[in-house]
Amino acid sequence: MLTLQDVHKRYGSITALDGLSLEIRRGEIFGLLGPNGAGKTTTVNIAVGLLAPDRGSVSIEGLGSPRAPAARRRLGVAPQALALYETLSGEQNLRFFGRIYGLSGRKLAERVDWAFDFVALAERRRDAVRTYSGGMKRRLNLAAALIHDPELILLDEPTAGVDPQSRNSIYENILALKRQGRTILYTTHYIEEAERMCDRVAVMDHGKVLALDSVPGLLAAHGARAVLVAELSGETVRVETDDPMAELHRLAASGPLGRFWVEHATLEQVFLNLTGRELRD
Amino acid sequence: MRAVMALAFKDLLVLARVRSAVFFTYLWPFLVAIMFGVIFAGPGRGSARIGIAVCDEDCTPASEDFAARLAESGNLDILRAERDEAAALVRRGSRTAAVVLPRGFGEAAQRLFYGTPPRVEVLIDPSRKAESAMIEGILFQQAARSMQRRLSDRAASQEMIRKSLEDLDSAHDIDPAERTRITRFLGELDRFMGSRPQEPQSSGAAAEWKPLEIVTTDTAREWSGPRNSFEVTFPQGILWGIIGCVMSFGISIVSERTHGTLQRLQIAPLTRSQLLAGKALACLVSITIVEVALLAMGGLFFQVRPSSLGLLVVACLAISVAFVGIMMLVSTLGRTEQAAAGAGWAVMLPMAMLGGGMMPLFLMPSWLQAASTISPVRWSLLALEGAMWRRFSPQEMALPCAVLLALGIVCFLAGARAFRSDS
Repeated sequence: MLTLQDVHKRYGSITALDGLSLEIRRGEIFGLLGPNGAGKTTTVNIAVGLLAPDRGSVSIEGLGSPRAPAARRRLGVAPQALALYETLSGEQNLRFFGRIYGLSGRKLAERVDWAFDFVALAERRRDAVRTYSGGMKRRLNLAAALIHDPELILLDEPTAGVDPQSRNSIYENILALKRQGRTILYTTHYIEEAERMCDRVAVMDHGKVLALDSVPGLLAAHGARAVLVAELSGETVRVETDDPMAELHRLAASGPLGRFWVEHATLEQVFLNLTGRELRD
Repeated sequence: MRAVMALAFKDLLVLARVRSAVFFTYLWPFLVAIMFGVIFAGPGRGSARIGIAVCDEDCTPASEDFAARLAESGNLDILRAERDEAAALVRRGSRTAAVVLPRGFGEAAQRLFYGTPPRVEVLIDPSRKAESAMIEGILFQQAARSMQRRLSDRAASQEMIRKSLEDLDSAHDIDPAERTRITRFLGELDRFMGSRPQEPQSSGAAAEWKPLEIVTTDTAREWSGPRNSFEVTFPQGILWGIIGCVMSFGISIVSERTHGTLQRLQIAPLTRSQLLAGKALACLVSITIVEVALLAMGGLFFQVRPSSLGLLVVACLAISVAFVGIMMLVSTLGRTEQAAAGAGWAVMLPMAMLGGGMMPLFLMPSWLQAASTISPVRWSLLALEGAMWRRFSPQEMALPCAVLLALGIVCFLAGARAFRSDS
C-alpha cells in the first residue's frame, strides 16, 4: 500500500533518515517504534508528501507519489500536534476539513455524523474545541483525519498525553478501522501500544530500521531467553533457559520447590536491546 | 474554488470568534473616527463672530444706539458688562476684546467738524492683532454710518450744526481766523441742509447719501477642503480598521503554522496557490466589510459623502488589494505569533503615522508630506479623500490607485514566495 525505498533526509548537519526502506501492506497496522528523535515523524511527513526526501522514493499503491492530489484524497493524517482550530466548535472543524477534501451537502453531513459517533464526541460537537479535555481533542484530531474516509491512515503518536480511558477508546477506534480494511501506519514510543495494536513493527533509531517483523518474530529474533524463577530450599533461583519445563523438573529433583514462574522476553527488552539504554531527549 | 471559499469562510469564522479582534478591527476604528471627528469638529464653512464685551458708561441715546448697532452688525457677539467685568472677561480669554463707551461719548457724537470726537476704548490682548484690526474696522464702520444717518436727516444735521456753532462761540482757545472759516463753513452747510426737503427722497442724487456703495453678490467659493471633520477622520478610521485586518490575518497564517493546522492543510488536496488564495480572499472580504461599514455609517450619520461613488469603489478595491499584499508580507515577519505581531506593528505603526493615519495629510508640513509618499497609508488616504472631498478626476485617481495596486502585487508575490520557502 505504501512503499518507502532507500529514503534519505538531512536537516543541516543532522541526519534524520538514513536509507530507510519500508513496505506497508494493505489492511495491516504497521507500527513505527523508536525513541525520541529516531526519525518517526520525518518518516510520516515524507510518507504523506509534506517533506520531499533528499534521496529515495515514496509511492502509494496505484497512485504514485503522495504529493499527487489523487493520492492525498486517499490519505488521512492525525499529526502529533493537535491540528485543530480551538476557537471553532468540533463540528465547524470537521465540516471545514471535510470541505477541503471536496465533501459537501448530505455526504458531508453524513461523514461528520459518522466521525462524531466513531470517536464518541457527538454530545460535544457544538462546543468550542478549547473547552475539550486533552483526550477529547486527541479523539477529534483522529476524527479530522478520517472525515474523508481515507484508505491509508497515518497516526503520529495518537495517544500522546491522554488519560487511560481516552487511550483505550482510541485503541478501539484503530482496531475498528483495521476491521474495516483500512491500512494504518502507527508511530509511537509506547511499547505496549505496539505490542497490543500492531501486526508488524519496525524498530527504528537514528533514521534507520533496526528490526522489522511481527511482535513474536521480534521477540524470537532479538529478545533474551526465558527466565525460570523458583524458590528452592528457601532461596530464590533464576535460571535462563530455552526449555523452562525441563529446567523446572531438574530443580524439583534437587530439593523442595516453593513458588515458581517464568519470565518471557518482552518487546521492551527487544527495544532496549536494539536502541540502547542511554537517555534520549 | 469551493476549497478556497471554505478556507476563507473558516478564516472569517475564526476571526469572528475572537472578540478582541472583532472589536479592534470593526468597532474601534468607527469609535476613533467619531471621537476625533467630534474633537476636531470646527465651524465648517461658516465664519465665526468675534465675541466682545461692551461697557456703556455714557448711557446716552447716542451711546445706546451705537452699542445696539454694533450688535446688529452681524460680525460681533456682544455681551454687555461693566468695565471691570469686561476687562476680566478679556484677561480670562472668555471674550476677545472689550469695547468701552466712556462718559461724554454721546455729547461728542453731536459735534460736527469741530471739537473732541467721540472716544471708544478697546481692551484687547496685543497678540491678537488680526481681531484688533477687525474690531477697529467695525467701530469705524458704525461711526461712519452714524454720521451718514445724521447728514441724511435735515433736522438732525441742522441741530448738530447749531450745537457745533454754540461750542465754537464759547471756545476761547481757537485761532480767530480759524473760528471765522469754520463758522462760515457751518453756516453754508446749515443753509444747504435747510434747502433740502425734510423727508429724504426714495431715489435720485438727493436721496440718503453714502460715501461708497458696496454691492455684494453671493458667490460661494468652490470648496476644496473637507466639508466636515468626519470626512477626514472616517478615512483614517477605515485605514486603522484595515491595519487591524492585516495584523489579524497576517498573524493567523503564523498561528496556523505554530498550531499545526497548516500541516493538515498542506497534506490535504490543496495547492499552495489555493491556500494563499483562501487567506487573501478572507482578508479581502474583511477589509471590504470595514470599508463598507464605516462609509455607510459615515454617510448615514455624519455627512461623509463621496463626490464620485464609482471612484470610491475603485479606491476601495485598490486599497484592499494593497493591504492583502501587505498582509502576506506581515505573515512572513516572524515565526511565532508574538514575533509576527511585534514586527508587524513595528512596521505598520510608523507607516500609519507617516502616511496621515493620525495627523491629516493636509496639515502636515511640506517635507513630511513628501516623505509620506513611501507609506501605502498615504496613498490609501489620498485615494479615499480623492473620491470624497478632494473631488479627483479619474485621471487624478489613477496615480494613487496604480501605486496601491503595484504595491499590493509586489508585496503579495514577495510574501507568497517567503511562504513557499518556509513551507
